[in-house]
Amino acid sequence: MRPFAYERPTAIRDVVGLLGVHGPAARLLAGGTDLIIRLRDGSIRPDVVVDVKRVLDLSDAISVETDRLVIGARTVMTDIGAHPVVRRDFAALADAAMVVGSAQIRNRATLAGNLCNASPAADTAPGLLVFGAVVIVVGPTGERRIPLDDFFVRSGVTSLGPGEMVAAIELPLPAVPRGSAHVRRTRRRGHDLASVTLAAIVEADGVARIAYGSVGPRPLRGAVTADALLDANLGDEARDRLLNQLFAGASPSPTSLRASPDYRLAMLRVLARRAIDAARARLEAGPG
Amino acid sequence: MTDLVSVSVEVNGRLREVTVAPHHTLLDALRDDLGLTGTKECCLVGECGACTVLIGGRSVDSCLMLAAEADGLAITTVEGLATGARLDPLQQAFLDTGAAQCGFCIPGQLVSARALLAETPRPTREQVEEGLAGNLCRCAGYEQIIEAVLRAADPATDGSPAGAPARPSGEPHPFDVANVPDAGLAPQ
Amino acid sequence: MTDAGRRIVGASAPRGGGLERVTGSQRYVADLPMEGVLHVKLVTVDAARARIDAIDASAALAVPGVRAVFTARDLPDPMPRFGPQVRDRPVIAVGETKYHGDPVAAVAAETKDSAEAGAALVRVAFEPLTAVVTIDDALAADAPLVQDPALRPDDPNAGRNVLREHRSGWGDLAAAESDADCVVEGTWSFPMVTQFAIEPHAFAAAPDGDGIIVWSSIQHPNWLQRVIASLLDLPLSKVRILAPDPGGAFGGKQHAKYEPLLAFLARALGRPVRLVLSLEETFQAVRRGASRIRVRSGFRRDGTLVFRDIDADYLVGAYADIADRTVAKGSWTANGPYLVPAVRIVARSILSHTVPSTAFRGFGNPQQIWAVESNLDEAARRLGIDPVELRLRNLAHHGDAFLPGDTPADGEWPETLRRAAERIGWGSPLSAGRGRGIAVGLKSGPTTGLSYSTVRLLADGSVVVYAGTSDMGQGARTIFAQIVAEELGAPIDWVTVVMGDTVVVPYDQQTSASRSSVLMGNAILAACRDIQKKLRAMAARLEGVDEASIVVERGEVRLPDDRVLPIRDVLIRGLGRLGGEVIGVGEFRKEAEPDHPLGGTAAFYEFNATAVEVSVDRETGDVTVERHVTVSDVGRSLNPAQVRGQDEGAAVMGLGHTLMEHYQFDAEGRIRNLGAIDYRIPTSMDLPKSMESDAIENGDGPGPYGAKGMSEGALLCVAPAVAAAVRDATGAVFHDLPLTPERVWRALRDQESRPEPPGG
Repeated sequence: MRPFAYERPTAIRDVVGLLGVHGPAARLLAGGTDLIIRLRDGSIRPDVVVDVKRVLDLSDAISVETDRLVIGARTVMTDIGAHPVVRRDFAALADAAMVVGSAQIRNRATLAGNLCNASPAADTAPGLLVFGAVVIVVGPTGERRIPLDDFFVRSGVTSLGPGEMVAAIELPLPAVPRGSAHVRRTRRRGHDLASVTLAAIVEADGVARIAYGSVGPRPLRGAVTADALLDANLGDEARDRLLNQLFAGASPSPTSLRASPDYRLAMLRVLARRAIDAARARLEAGPG
Repeated sequence: MTDLVSVSVEVNGRLREVTVAPHHTLLDALRDDLGLTGTKECCLVGECGACTVLIGGRSVDSCLMLAAEADGLAITTVEGLATGARLDPLQQAFLDTGAAQCGFCIPGQLVSARALLAETPRPTREQVEEGLAGNLCRCAGYEQIIEAVLRAADPATDGSPAGAPARPSGEPHPFDVANVPDAGLAPQ
Repeated sequence: MTDAGRRIVGASAPRGGGLERVTGSQRYVADLPMEGVLHVKLVTVDAARARIDAIDASAALAVPGVRAVFTARDLPDPMPRFGPQVRDRPVIAVGETKYHGDPVAAVAAETKDSAEAGAALVRVAFEPLTAVVTIDDALAADAPLVQDPALRPDDPNAGRNVLREHRSGWGDLAAAESDADCVVEGTWSFPMVTQFAIEPHAFAAAPDGDGIIVWSSIQHPNWLQRVIASLLDLPLSKVRILAPDPGGAFGGKQHAKYEPLLAFLARALGRPVRLVLSLEETFQAVRRGASRIRVRSGFRRDGTLVFRDIDADYLVGAYADIADRTVAKGSWTANGPYLVPAVRIVARSILSHTVPSTAFRGFGNPQQIWAVESNLDEAARRLGIDPVELRLRNLAHHGDAFLPGDTPADGEWPETLRRAAERIGWGSPLSAGRGRGIAVGLKSGPTTGLSYSTVRLLADGSVVVYAGTSDMGQGARTIFAQIVAEELGAPIDWVTVVMGDTVVVPYDQQTSASRSSVLMGNAILAACRDIQKKLRAMAARLEGVDEASIVVERGEVRLPDDRVLPIRDVLIRGLGRLGGEVIGVGEFRKEAEPDHPLGGTAAFYEFNATAVEVSVDRETGDVTVERHVTVSDVGRSLNPAQVRGQDEGAAVMGLGHTLMEHYQFDAEGRIRNLGAIDYRIPTSMDLPKSMESDAIENGDGPGPYGAKGMSEGALLCVAPAVAAAVRDATGAVFHDLPLTPERVWRALRDQESRPEPPGG
C-alpha cells in the first residue's frame, strides 16, 4: 500500500476542517471494508486517511424518534440487522444488512460507508430507496438533507460536495402497515457481490414499490409503482408490460464479470415477483 | 515521509505498544511487529478470513483494519484462546473431530467460532454455517469444522476425545528408573 | 496380519501437529523468523504475452532499503532453465514474457514496504505480442509458437504448439464399430481452475557456508533439492531443503517455481531472501489443465460397451511443468474402470500463453471422467437403461485385466458403486423438481516410487521416525505415527515424526498420486520390521533362547515359554548400562518399467462412486445439492477421521469446479478474476444439505494393513454426477463447466424455446 498520513479527529468540526485543508487528497475511513481494498489496489491514492470512528458527535447507534429512525454514520451492519425496530419496520434493510459480506465484514462495515462507496450493487441501497431514506450531510456550509435518490450519481460518485460528510441516515417511520423484503442474485450461497439486488415494499393501502441495483451505474427506484403486480388476475402480457416499464431504467453492463445483461434483466423480473410475495407475506403476518 | 503512529493495544490480555506506519494493517502489526504469526495472510481483501481476530469479542478481518485503528482496543488472536496450557473448548473440539487438516485456515475458524458462540451459545447448524461463511477452507468439506463448533457449544459433550486413547490405560510409566539395570551409575 | 486387537491403526488417532494447528503455533514458511532477511517482490507486465525491450531499475534502486533488482541480466547466459519434464522454464523471463503474470524482475529490499515501492518503480518497456490462449488459437496454422523449438531439438512436434501426443488403446476399433447398435458421441470441456490453497506459496533461500538452504512450501523436497543443486552446480549434500508442512497444496506445490530465482538471489547478495506470493500471484503460478474431449462410445442394445474412441486436447500453459504427465496419465485411464474390447485414446497437451498448468488433485483424470461419464449418462438415456445398471454391466471386477498392459482391477468396484446407489436411495421416488445422478471415477496411483524411512526406537520406548513425505493436510504425519505405535508398542504421543529437512531425513521421491500411506507407509513398516528383528536378537540374548523361537510383532515380544513381554521391557534390559537406541531402516521401491508408456504399472487404483441429489430453481438456475454421497474403495481406513476429512474435502473441491470455479479472461488473454472476490470457491454456506462419505474396506491394497492410497478419488466424478442429476431434474444437458446459475438458466431457457428432437 502506498503510504499516507493518518488522522483521528474526535469531532465532526475537525473532520470538516481536515477535509477543507486536504480536499480530495483526504479520504474518510469508517469500517474500511471498501476503503482498505481500494487503498491496496491503488485505485485511490490519498495523502491523508481520516478515521471517523472516534468522532464522538457521530452516532454509532440507531435512535428511534417520533416519526423517524436515525442511523448514525458509525453504525455497523451487524447492529442494523439485529435492531428490533429495523427488523420490524424496515425488514428489507435488515435483510440486506445481513448479507453484506461475512460476519467479519458486517462487524465493521457502516451503512454510511456503504452509501458513500456508491457501488451500484450496494445491497442496502434498494431498501433505503423504497423506504424514502434521507441522507443527513454536514459540511462547511452546515447541514443538508439529501433524499437518497439524489445522493447517488453513478458508480463511485455521490452528490457530496467538497468538505462534506455523511452524519446520519434517516428513515421515516411507516405511516401505514407494510411488509418489505430484499432479495438478490449471487454466484454462490456464500457471501458474494450481487449480480442483481432488489427490494420491495407492499403497503396495506395496496401500494407496492420496488428499487433495485447492480443493473446500471447506480441503484434505481422502479420507474412506476408496482401495485398492479399485486393483482392476482394480472395476465402474462400485462405483467410483462408492467415489468418492462418498472425496469425501464435498467442498463446492465455488457462487460461485467459477474453476469450477462440478459440474465440480469431476467432476474430483475424474477426477483421482483419474489420480493413482492415475501413483502406481502410479511405484511399479512403483521408486526414482530 | 509520513509520521509513524504510536499504537497502544491490548492483545490477548497484555498491553502492547507498537509504532507503526499508518498504512500498515493490523495484520501486518500482529505478525511483523508483535511476532504473533498465528493469524494468517491469504487474500488480503476480506474474503477468506484467514486473518480473523476478535475486537471487543467481535470477529473482524485484520487485513482490512489499519494498525492505527486498533489504538485503545482489546484484541484476541488465536494465541489468546487457550488459558495457559488449558485449551479453549473450541480448540479441544477441533482436535476431537479432526477439523484441522493443513491447518492454515484454522486460527481464523477458531476465532470466528469463538465470536459466534459468544453471541449465540447454542447455534443451529445453519447459524454455524452462516457464522463461519467468512472463513474459507480448501482442505475440509467444512463438515468436521462445523461439527466441532456444535460439539463445543453442546453442554452435554464432556470434552472427552473422540479418537483412540493416547496410551493403553493401566500401564506404568515406561521409563521407571528402578527397572533399568545399573541406572544412575556413570557410564564406563 | 490379523485384525484382532488392532488398537491404533484403524482408529481416528489425533492428528499429529493438531495441537500446533489449533493454537496457532504451527509455522508455515511465511511464519518462520528470519533474521536479516530481504523481502522479495516480483515485477510482471500487464499483458498475456510481451516482448521485453528494456528494464530500467534506476528509480527502484533509489528507493531506500532496496538492495537489488534482479533481472535476466543478472543470471548466467544462456538463461538457466528447469522443469520436471522439459527444461523450459527460465529462472526469470528473458526476452519475452509468456503468460499474464510471468515475472521479469525481482526486487529485494530490507522491508516489505520498500520492496513494494521498488517493484512499482521498475520501468519495463514492453510490446504486447499476439497470444494464444485457447486450444483453437494455439492449433491455428498461423499460431505463434509458445516454446522455442530449440528447446526440443529432437521433437517432431517442436514446430507446433502441441507439446506431446499420447496414443493408447487396444482391440480392433473398426471391427467393434460394426458390433455397435447405438453410438453416442459428444464433446465436453473442462475450464481452467486453480488450486487456491489457503496458504499462498512461500519460498526463502539463504547462503549456508559453501552451500545453500532453501525453504519452500514444496511437496517434493528431494526433487527440489536436485533442481537447485543442478542449477547452482552444487553437490546435493550442500543443498538443504527445509519444507515445513504446506498450508494446503493439492498438487500446486509439487514442482519448483521461484525457488531457483531465490537461490540465485541469495547467493548473489550473500543474504537470506524470502518471497511470499499474494493470492493473486498464486492464481498466476498454478492451475489445472483445461480440456476439450470428444468421446464416442458404442453399445449393444443390452448396454454392453463394445468400443470407446476418445480424442482429448488439454490446454496446458506456457511452460511444461508436469502438465504433460497429467495428460499422459489421465488419458491412459480415460476409458475408466470398464471392460471394453476396443478402445482408442488420443490425447494431446497443447502449449498456450497462459499460466503453466501443473499437478492438481486428480492429475488429468477429472477432465476425462467429466466427458466419459457424461457420455455414459447420455447412453443410458438413449438405451433406456438405468445409469447404475449400465455401469454395473460394464464395470471390471476384482482381478479383471481391464487395462491391458497395466495392473488388473484391484478392488470390488461394483460393491463401491452399489453402496453409493444404496445410500442415495437410487430408484426411490423423488420429490418434484429434484433429480439424481451417479458417476464413477478411476485414477491410477503412482507408477514408480521410492521411499526410505529411518526409525529410531529410543531407550525409553519412545520413537523418532524420519519420513520425507510432505504433510499438507492429508495427515501423513499421523498415519506414520500410528503405524509405528502399532508395530513398536509405543503410545502414539510418544512418537515424533520428522519431515521436511533433506539434511536429516532420508530420500523420498515425492508426495503425489496419493502414494504416501502406501509407499512411505511400507517403508516405515519395513523399518519397524528391521527393529523388530534386532529386538528378537536382543531378546534371544537376554532370555538365552533361540532367536528363531521368538516372535516380535505389534509392540510385543512373544517368548517360546508363552510369556509375552512389552517391547519396552526387552529394550530397557537389552540396552543396559550404556543406553542407546535401536535403529531400523526401511525402503519401499516400485521399480520403473521402461517399456510401459507411463514408466510403470499402477501401484493401486483409486476408485470412487459419487451419487448426488439436486434441486434446481428453474427461474434462477440455482443448483442446490440436497444430498451428496461419496464412496471410495480404500483398502483399509488407517485413520477414519482423516479419510473422511480428505474425501469430503475432495467432494467439496469437486463441487467448486462443477458449480462456480473458472478463470475469466479478457479479449487480450489477461485474467480478469484474479483474487478471492471474483474467483468463487465453496464456503460453509455452499455445502450439500447432506454430505455422506463412506469407505469400502476389503484389505486389498498394497499398503500397510491392506491400505490403498486415497484423497483424490472423491473429486474425480463429482461433475458428471451433478450434471446427470441436473439433467434428471430439468432435462437440460451440459457439456461445459461450471454449471453457474446463469449457465443453467440459459440452458433451461434455450431448451424451452427449442422443440425436443425426436427420440431425444
